[in-house]
Amino acid sequence: MISEKLPIGWTKGPSDQPNDFTFVSPDHDRFLKIGEFVTYEAKMDGKERQILSRIIDRQPLLQFPDSFLADPQIAPDQVAQLIGYDQKDHEQFVLIATIIGYFDEQLDGFINPRIPPREGSPIYIAFDELLAHLLSKKKTTQQGSAYIGSLLSREIDKVPVVLDVASLVSTHLAIIASTGAGKSYLAGVLVEELMSHYNRAAVLIIDPHGEYDTLAEMMNIEHFRTSDYRPEIKIFRAGQVKVKVAALEPGDFYYLLPNLSDRMIYLFGKAYREVSKDSRMNKGEPDRWTRAELELKLDDLGTSEEEDTGKGKSDFASTAQALSWRLDSVLKNSLIFDDQKHLNLNELCRPGQCSVLQLNEVDEREQQVMVATLLRRLLKARTETQKNRVDEGDELYLPYPVFVLIEEAHRFAPASADIVTTGVLKTILSEGRKFGVGVGLISQRPGKLDGDVLSQCNTQFIMRIVNPVDQGRVAESIETVGRDLIRELPALTKGQVIIAGEAINTPVLARVRTRYTRHGGETKDAPVEWLKYLSPIEQEKRDREAALLVSGGKKRDRKYK
Amino acid sequence: MQLGKIVKSNSHIDYICQIYNLNDVPLPPTIEDYAFGSFVKIPINSKQQLVGVVYDTVLFNPDFGRIGPRLSPETDLAIFTPDYLNEKVILIGILTVGMLDTGGIIIQGVPRLSSTTDSIVEKMIDTEIRQFHYGNQTPRLGYISLLLSHSSPLTIHLLQKIVYNLIDLFPDKRNLLSVLKNDLAWKSQIAPLGGAR
Repeated sequence: MISEKLPIGWTKGPSDQPNDFTFVSPDHDRFLKIGEFVTYEAKMDGKERQILSRIIDRQPLLQFPDSFLADPQIAPDQVAQLIGYDQKDHEQFVLIATIIGYFDEQLDGFINPRIPPREGSPIYIAFDELLAHLLSKKKTTQQGSAYIGSLLSREIDKVPVVLDVASLVSTHLAIIASTGAGKSYLAGVLVEELMSHYNRAAVLIIDPHGEYDTLAEMMNIEHFRTSDYRPEIKIFRAGQVKVKVAALEPGDFYYLLPNLSDRMIYLFGKAYREVSKDSRMNKGEPDRWTRAELELKLDDLGTSEEEDTGKGKSDFASTAQALSWRLDSVLKNSLIFDDQKHLNLNELCRPGQCSVLQLNEVDEREQQVMVATLLRRLLKARTETQKNRVDEGDELYLPYPVFVLIEEAHRFAPASADIVTTGVLKTILSEGRKFGVGVGLISQRPGKLDGDVLSQCNTQFIMRIVNPVDQGRVAESIETVGRDLIRELPALTKGQVIIAGEAINTPVLARVRTRYTRHGGETKDAPVEWLKYLSPIEQEKRDREAALLVSGGKKRDRKYK
Repeated sequence: MQLGKIVKSNSHIDYICQIYNLNDVPLPPTIEDYAFGSFVKIPINSKQQLVGVVYDTVLFNPDFGRIGPRLSPETDLAIFTPDYLNEKVILIGILTVGMLDTGGIIIQGVPRLSSTTDSIVEKMIDTEIRQFHYGNQTPRLGYISLLLSHSSPLTIHLLQKIVYNLIDLFPDKRNLLSVLKNDLAWKSQIAPLGGAR
């Protein structure tokens, strides 16, 4: 625990960058790691201020000659001793630190003094308590706080990293990491915090891999419960949440129905407009038509268009038939789309409830259209509610902010193309704050994620990234993370994360805390499963099942053929 | 074994010793006794003595350059001018690298005290050399930086010679001393030809 105020080094002078300075320290205790925080004192506005700085580079000043390292069995210290060098702890390091500033309570942020420390002035290690106070915007378990973990350079839990949930969910977040770096685990921690009694958030998780069902354990864990609160975790599997066909926009259909010709698009657009118009006239709302009605309209138009234009009948009629066939093939047996049932936002999103939409059995395009529809609808509901255009009881009445966590975000906002979800995601990222729709994007391939989308996530959680393309995307899209921390990305290990942005006062290297719930996204241990399959117990089980089938007369012929 | 006496010094640590010949002692030292890199001791007082190492040998011959005329042939010179022979001497250069005292205290590096003219120079035996170099469980050559600062083209070879000697004296520390030996070998033999490290 760091609480004693003793100089750890002395200022050497300025560095190459105007905001950096160098200092020299023997660092006997190996304390001054990259990312560690140090302070110096400076008089600002008549007050003695503790200026916080972060170490960004560390180089040894004194090194043994390479020849001293020639024999693996002989330590260089021994060679030095041989030639009469008896000094203990000869090591010295020159360290570069970047100035963060002093914390201004009124402005609730750091103010850079723009004055490096004087040459020869002392540098102190920042106290645990000071860091805990300065780095995080909130205290643990305080209302609106999210305790994510602790500062990596200090002992576990000595300096808790606590994020500001209001900033986190309103100005959006991104969790970026390679496979296996622990991004789903971190997302789990985040959800646990959001669902704690001091937040009681309305969270919706888009889960294309079905990894988040273990969050349901939260309901039975004492930590999350109080006398008046218990988090509700609802797992929606494919087929349990439907999207009404009539809620889809023409663009969604064009995306779902592949290889549409110009004529098909023309005919479909016309049919869509007319069927919506009929619905408004006859049923009061433009989205109360069914797929059958749309197909009927297409048939009608196929015939009438031929009469109107005088072209060959077979052209439009066959186009209409082809469209109907494609609509059937995509929508008829879909787990997602339905004529009547529709996303009930009040059922999906409510404070104190986390809904997990497991889409692992759903085709990728259908996933994208579903998410686009869902996000559009959420934004619309929040906009309408906030502008008092809907009343309690209305389908679109949503009187509280909602946070949507999207796994595999590169599927929904790819860098290479604009797909159905890109537009609505960008709208939410730029305007969602006003209406209380927050988005959290999780991706293992930031290089494949749209740069604009990534750059608008104002709190970033970046874990180990090895791929240079991905590192480059992170560096260019996320300005708040310093280059020094970006350099650390390949060196991070599982559970270590760089947190930067709105929800924290200054970028930090942290270790993620232990989850209360089990991790659902663990990698399968293939050798264990292979051995289990061939174990005598499993073998016997299979033999028994085969024997039952034989006695029942099934598959006998095939087996003994 | 007495080798000779101090006749001159060039500095606080750099002494010239004239090697005894037959006119000085009945059994003068052989060239093996004052070979390049040999360790010698020079008494300062009854308790303390300087430790030095032979870093150079110079043959002094006043006859050199005097090409005539001669009154007697070379073979008769010993009979007619017996003193003349005494002027041909061998001088050795000694760098002092530390001090020993009778209490066993060893100081390596620039000695605090200096010697005087006519001080007797003695060859150190192996036990004394080992004692002088014996540090805390390992050999110790605390005078290396002193030797390296001496601007002689032979310094690096002198060091090599010392290390070779010490490997023989401390066979159980061969691996440790070999690190130094290999480094010096590279510096003296490969680096001058452009070998990089």
